[in-house]
Amino acid sequence: MIPEPTLSHLKDRIAAADHPRELVVDVMFALQEHYGYLSDEAVETTGALLGMSPLQVEELATFYTFLYREPVGRYVIHLCDSVICWLDGAESLRDHLCRKLKIEMGRTTPDGLFTLLPVCCIGYCDRSPAMLVNRKVYGPLTPEKVDELLEKLKQESE
Amino acid sequence: MSSQETKKYPSVLLQNRHPDRIATLDEYRRSGGYEGLTALLGAGNPKQAQQVLLDANLLGRGGAAFPAGKKMMTIAENAPFPRYVVCNADEMEPGTFKDRVLIFADPHQLIEGIVIAGYAARASHGIIFIRPEYEQAARIMEREIEVARSEGLVGRNILQSGYDMEIVVHRSGGRYICGEATAQINALMGVRPNPKQPPPYPTTKGLWQRPTVVQNVETLCCMPHILRNGAQWFGSLALTENGAGTKVFCVSGRVERPGCYELPMGVPLKEIVEVHAGGIKNGGRFKACLPGGASTAFVPARLYDIPMDYESLKQEGFRLGTAAVMVFDHSDCLVDATVNLLDFFARESCGWCTPCRDGLPYIRDLMKRVEAGRGSTETIEKIETMCRHMWSAYCAFAPGAVSPVQGLMAEFKDEVMAHVEQGGCPFK
Amino acid sequence: MPKLIIDDISVAVPEGTKVIEAAEQVGIHIPRFCYHPALGSVGACRVCAVKFLQGPFKGVQMSCMIEAADGMVVSTTDPEAVDFRRHVIEWLMINHPHDCPVCDEGGHCLLQDMTVSGGHGMRRYQGKKRTYLDQDLGPLVQHEMNRCIQCYRCSRFYQEYAGYRDLGVMGIASRVYYGRFGPGTLKSPFSGNLIDICPTGVYTDRPSRYKGRRWDYERTPSVCIHCCLGCRITVNVRYREVVRIEARYSPTVNGHFICDRGRYGFFYASSDRRPRKARSGGAETRPKNARDEAAHRLEEITARHGSGSVAVVGGSRSTLETLAAERRICRQLGWQGPSLFTGTEESAAARRAAGHLTTDLAVSLEALKNADLILVAGADPINEAPMAALAIRQAARNGAHIEVIDPRPVTLPLEYVHRPAGTDKISEILRGLGKPSTEDASGDIQDLAARLDQSRRPVVVCGAGKIASERTVEQAARLARNLRRAGKKAGLFFVMTGANTFAACRMAGDPADLETLLLMIEDGKVRALVVVEADPMSEYPDLARLVDALAKLDLMVVLDCIDTETARAAHVFFPTQTFFETGGTLINNEARIQQARPAFAGGTPISQTGGGSHPPRVFRDDIPGTEALSAGQLLMDIVSALSGGISRSVEEFDGVAPEFSGFDPVEATGERGTWAKLPLRTAAGPDSPQMGGETPIKKGELLLVESVYGTEALSRSSPWLQELESEPALTLHPEDASRWGLQHGDRCELSTEAGALTVPVHTSRSTAPGTLVLPRHRRLRWQVFQHFRSGLDTVRIRKTGGEGA
Ligand SMILES: Cc1cc2nc3c(=O)[nH]c(=O)nc-3n(C[C@H](O)[C@H](O)[C@H](O)COP(=O)(O)O)c2cc1C
Ligand code: SF4
Ligand code: FES
Repeated sequence: MIPEPTLSHLKDRIAAADHPRELVVDVMFALQEHYGYLSDEAVETTGALLGMSPLQVEELATFYTFLYREPVGRYVIHLCDSVICWLDGAESLRDHLCRKLKIEMGRTTPDGLFTLLPVCCIGYCDRSPAMLVNRKVYGPLTPEKVDELLEKLKQESE
Repeated sequence: MSSQETKKYPSVLLQNRHPDRIATLDEYRRSGGYEGLTALLGAGNPKQAQQVLLDANLLGRGGAAFPAGKKMMTIAENAPFPRYVVCNADEMEPGTFKDRVLIFADPHQLIEGIVIAGYAARASHGIIFIRPEYEQAARIMEREIEVARSEGLVGRNILQSGYDMEIVVHRSGGRYICGEATAQINALMGVRPNPKQPPPYPTTKGLWQRPTVVQNVETLCCMPHILRNGAQWFGSLALTENGAGTKVFCVSGRVERPGCYELPMGVPLKEIVEVHAGGIKNGGRFKACLPGGASTAFVPARLYDIPMDYESLKQEGFRLGTAAVMVFDHSDCLVDATVNLLDFFARESCGWCTPCRDGLPYIRDLMKRVEAGRGSTETIEKIETMCRHMWSAYCAFAPGAVSPVQGLMAEFKDEVMAHVEQGGCPFK
Repeated sequence: MPKLIIDDISVAVPEGTKVIEAAEQVGIHIPRFCYHPALGSVGACRVCAVKFLQGPFKGVQMSCMIEAADGMVVSTTDPEAVDFRRHVIEWLMINHPHDCPVCDEGGHCLLQDMTVSGGHGMRRYQGKKRTYLDQDLGPLVQHEMNRCIQCYRCSRFYQEYAGYRDLGVMGIASRVYYGRFGPGTLKSPFSGNLIDICPTGVYTDRPSRYKGRRWDYERTPSVCIHCCLGCRITVNVRYREVVRIEARYSPTVNGHFICDRGRYGFFYASSDRRPRKARSGGAETRPKNARDEAAHRLEEITARHGSGSVAVVGGSRSTLETLAAERRICRQLGWQGPSLFTGTEESAAARRAAGHLTTDLAVSLEALKNADLILVAGADPINEAPMAALAIRQAARNGAHIEVIDPRPVTLPLEYVHRPAGTDKISEILRGLGKPSTEDASGDIQDLAARLDQSRRPVVVCGAGKIASERTVEQAARLARNLRRAGKKAGLFFVMTGANTFAACRMAGDPADLETLLLMIEDGKVRALVVVEADPMSEYPDLARLVDALAKLDLMVVLDCIDTETARAAHVFFPTQTFFETGGTLINNEARIQQARPAFAGGTPISQTGGGSHPPRVFRDDIPGTEALSAGQLLMDIVSALSGGISRSVEEFDGVAPEFSGFDPVEATGERGTWAKLPLRTAAGPDSPQMGGETPIKKGELLLVESVYGTEALSRSSPWLQELESEPALTLHPEDASRWGLQHGDRCELSTEAGALTVPVHTSRSTAPGTLVLPRHRRLRWQVFQHFRSGLDTVRIRKTGGEGA
C-alpha cells in the first residue's frame, strides 16, 4: 500500500490540475518511487487516481524508457550506447560492467543491488562515455572509475 | 590549425555561464536581463513582438529551423483561449546538449524567453517539457520560476502589466519522439506520444485543442536579447548574410575539447573543430562530421570550410539541425557508426507508421550485414531504395533516421564498397 | 464539388472526400490497412500511397490523408508509388509468421490480398522475427499477435469508436502490442467487431475456430433477429451447421458493425438440444400423425365450445409471414388472437408507438449518429438494443448532448446526463418538455428544455413496451412532433421489445396480449391454445397463475424451433425451422422492411449425425432433422386439415397486412431494405381518452428488465454468451437498500403472493429512488410477479445473506 502522505499529496495535485491526465507520468514516477518499480498495483492505482483504466495507464507505461514494469535493482545503471559514447568505448565499458556485476544487459544482480540497462544518448556527449545511476550522470568513464563507483555504491547500501 | 589565433566573438546566450553554478537572478539582471520583457510589457503590443522576432530572422533552434515569428503569426487573432507556450527541453537528439548547458548557465534567460513568447502569443500557460535525464535541470527551473514569481516576473500581473502567465515544469517519461512537437503535445495530455500530422497545426489546435506554440530552449533564450537589442542587432551577430544571431554548437567525438561553444551563425566548420574544440584528438585527421545531430547527413572533409548556418548547409544539401557537431576521424569506420545510429533510431521509433517501425530494423539488418562483410551491391541498392522510401513516413523521424545512411552512401560509397569487396571491415 | 483526375478518370466528389474515397467512386480500390470508412484516416500504415502529379500536393503521398481538391491529378500506378507500396508490404511481412495454412483468416485476409497484389511474392528479409505471447481474450475472440501489422484499427475501434477501455496498444517501436492489461474476457459487447475489422488474423472468431474456410461456407446475407434493430448480417453455414455470423455493411441500419449478442446468439439453431421431432403426449410421433391429431382435437373443441374457444399465442421473433398466417387464421376461423404480447401495458405501449411512427419522424440507426441532441427516455440501449448505444456514442463523439431519463442504472459507453426518474415521472418530464414554450418547463428540466430549444437535430429515443408506458410513448411522440413543428429536424426512435415487434403491433388481434387471454382461459372461455414461436412459461411474469390456467386447457399445441418449457408442456408439439432456414420478412423498429433468404436447407448438423466421423458414413435418402417446416407453413397445414380450413400460401399477406405488402422483394433483401407504408403524419390530437393515467407509484415499483446477455429468448442459450453473463442481481438505490437493511453484495429474498426468489443485491446511485430493478434472466426463477412493473406494496423484501445476516 502507498503511504497516506504520498497518496494525499498526489490527490491534491490531481484535484488542482486543469486536466488530471497531464499528471499521469508524474503519478507513475511517484508510485514507482514507492514500489521500486511500476508494479501492477501501481498501474492500477494510477488508473484509479486519474480515472483511467489500467490498460490506458499501461499504454503509457510501456512506452517510456524510465518507467520499469519489472522489478529493478536499487541502483539502475543506464549505460549510454549512442554514437559518441560508442566511439569512446561504450561497448568495452558495457563488457566490463557485465563482467564485474556478473550479469547480462537487462538483468539485475542477484543481491538486488544493480540493474544494467542500455540507454540512448543522455545528452552528456561532452562527457563520454557516460552513464546514469539512478538518473545521476557519471562521465567520462574508465573501467577504473566504474569500479570505484560500484564500490562506493555498494558501501552506501550497507 | 592551432596556429590560427582564437577569434573573440560576442557571447550572448552564454555570457553568464559559470563553470559550476547557475547565474543568479541578480547576475542575469545586471547583464540586461528582463529589460526586453519590461519594454515589451510597457509597449503592450504582442503583435509588435511577433514582428521583431520575424524581422530578426530567428529560426527555430530545435532542428527544423522554422522562423519563430512566423509561427506565432499563424495563431489567428480570434483563436480561443487559453493558449499555451511549450518550451521544448526534451533535447534527445544524439550529440545535442546545449539546452542543458543553457539551463545550467542562465535559467532566467529561459524564463524571460518563455514569458516573452507567451506575451507575443497571448498565452497564459508556459510548460517546460523536459527529459528525465535532466532531473537536475528540472529542479533548477522549478526553483528559479519561484524566484521569478517572487519578483513579479512570472504569475499574476507580471511587472504590473496586467499580464498573467504561469510556468510549470513537465517531466517526460523519456523517449526521443517526445521531442517532436506534436508528439510532445500528446505526451503532455497523457496520451501515447505518437506524432500527429497537421493540419490542424499546433498553433491552431495544440495542447487541449488550444493554440500552442512549441519552441526550443535555445530559440526562447534568444528572444530576450532580440527584444532588448533589436532585430538588426541580432542579424549582425552572424558572419554570413543569410544567418542571424549566434548558435550554441555542441561539439563532441574525436576532438580535444568537447563541449558547448556559442559562436556566430556562419562560423566555418573548420574553425569550430580546430580552434574552439581544440582540434582532432591524438593528432588524428578530420574525416567527417554529423553537423546537427544524428538525423543529419555526414559532412565530408571536402566541405571542412563550410560556413555553419542553415542556409549555407542547405545549399550543399545538408542540414544544420541542432548544430550538434559530432566529429569522426580517419580511424573511424563510418559504416559501423551508421549501424550504431540505426540502432538508436530503430529503438526509438514510436511505432506508429510502417516505414519507420519495420523499415528501419530492416535497413539496420542490411547495414549490419554490409558492415560484417556479408553485403553485396544488391544489399546496398536495397538500402538505398528503402532509405529513399523512408521519406514517405508519417513524421520527420524516419527521414532523419536515414539521413546519415544516405550521407554515407553519397559521400563514402568507397568505404561501404570496401566492406563488400574485402568481406569485412577495413578498419578492424 | 472538387473535381480531380485519378488514373486518367475525371471525378467530382463532395467537399471533404479523401482521395482514397474518391478513387473508390470510380472503381479504383487503393490498398489500405489503417484506413477504415467507419474509423477514418490516420495515415499509419502508409500502404495507400499514390503519386500526386498536379495540384496542391506533389509526389508520393497517402491518399487517405489528403482531401480531394480541384486540379489534382493522381496516379495510383506510378512506378514510384507502386514500389513504395510494395516495400510497405514487405516491411509489414518481416515479422509475420507466415502461418496462413492454419490461420482462420486465410482466404479473406486483407494482408494476404495485399501481399499478393502488392507484388511482394518473395521473402528477402533474413533477420530474426520478433514474436509475441498471446492473451486469452475470452470465449469470443481468439488472439494471435504474431500476425499483427500494427494498423491500429483494433484499438481505435475499441476505445475511440466503441468507448471501452480494456483493449489498446502498448509498447513502442517494433514491439507495439495490442491487447489487454492482463488476459481476460473483453468487456465490450461489441468486441466481435475486432474480428471483422482486423485486416489479418490477429483477432479471429473463436467459436468457429478451425471449422472451415470462408470459401467452404454457405454465406448468405441475412438480418439479425436478436433485437428490434434488425442489423444486417452474413450467415455462414457449413455441414448443416450455422458456424459464424459476421456483420454486413448497411449504409442506413448498422453501418459496419453488429453487437456480440447478434454475432454469437445463433447457437440455438444448431444446438443438439434443438427439438427435431414432432411429439404427441410427450412421445415422438410422425409429423403427419401429429398434424392429424392437432386438427382433430381442435375440431372437436370448436365443435363443442365454438370457434372462439381456440386462441393463437405468438410473438415478435416470428417472421411477418408467420404473423400474417396467424392473423389470417384467427380472422377467418373466428379464433381468438393472435395474442402477440405478454402484458396488456406492453401491448398498449408498443402499439401506440407503432401508430405514432410517421415517415417524417422515423430515424434510422445511421441517422441517429447525426443527431445533435439525444434524449433517451425509458430505454436502456446497451441491454435492449445494443447497436443503438454505439450509434448514440457516435453522435456524442460528434458533439451531441446525450441525456437519459430512466429509472434503471443505465450505462452507456459515452458521456451523458442521467436523470434517474421513476417510470411515472418519465412521461411527466417529457410532457413538460413538449410544451410549446420552454418557460413552462419546471425548474429541474429548464436546462434540458433550453438545450432542446438550441438543438437543430434532436432525436427522442424512447422505449415502447415492458418499461416505458403507453403514456411515455405518447409524450415522446408529442415532443418529437412539437420539435419538428418548431422547425427542427427532429426524430423519433423507438426501442421495441423484439425483432418483429413493429409487425406484431399491426398483426395482433383480439386479445392482443396473453394477460387478457389468460382471463379468458381462467373463466373457461378459451379451451385450446396454439402457441407459435413463443414461450409464455419463461416470459410471463406470474408463472404460478399461468401454470394453473394452462392446466385448465383441453389442448395446447406448440410450434417452435427451440426447446422451451412451454414446448415441453404441449400436448402436441411441432418442430419449426429457424429464421436461418426459412428466411422471411422482418419489420424493424423504424418500420423498415427487411427480407432474408434462407441461409441453408436445414437438417441436423453433420457434427451431430456423423457420430464423430467425417464425412458421415451413414447413407440415407433424406436429410436428417428436416422434419421441421416454417411455423407459418405448419400452421397453414394444420388448419387446412380442419374442415372449413383455409389454404393459402404463407407468402401472401396483402389481405391482412396492407402496410407491409406490395414491396419490392429485391429492395427488401438489399442493403437498405424498404419501407412499410406508414401514415405520413398522424394527427396529434389530445391524449386519447381511452388511455388511462399512469399508475401512481406509492411505495415505488419493481421493474423486470432486459440485460444484454441472458434475457433474450434465442441468444440466451448460446454457451459463449452464457460465459459472458454477469450474475443477475437486484439493483436499487443505496438509500432504498438501507431501508430494508441491505447493502451492496448482500443477498435478499423477494416474495409476492405468487412465490419467492433469492438474488444478490447491487446498489447504484443512478437507480431512481423507489425503483428496484431485476433482470428477467434465465438464471433466475423470476416469474413471481403479476406484471413487468409491480408496485412495491405487493413485494416483500427480506435480507437472507451478507454481512450481519
Ligand atoms: C523526431 C524528432 C525529434 C525532435 N526532437 C526535438 C527535441 O528534442 N528538442 C527540440 O527542441 N526539438 C525537437 N524536434 C523539433 C520539434 O518538432 C520542433 O520543430 C521544435 O521543438 C520547435 O521549436 P523551434 O522552432 O524553436 O526549434 C524534433 C523533431 C523530430 C521530428
Ligand atoms: S516516422 Fe517513426 S517516429 Fe514518426 S510516426 Fe512514423 S513510426 Fe513514429
Ligand atoms: S490507409 Fe492510408 S496510411 Fe493506412
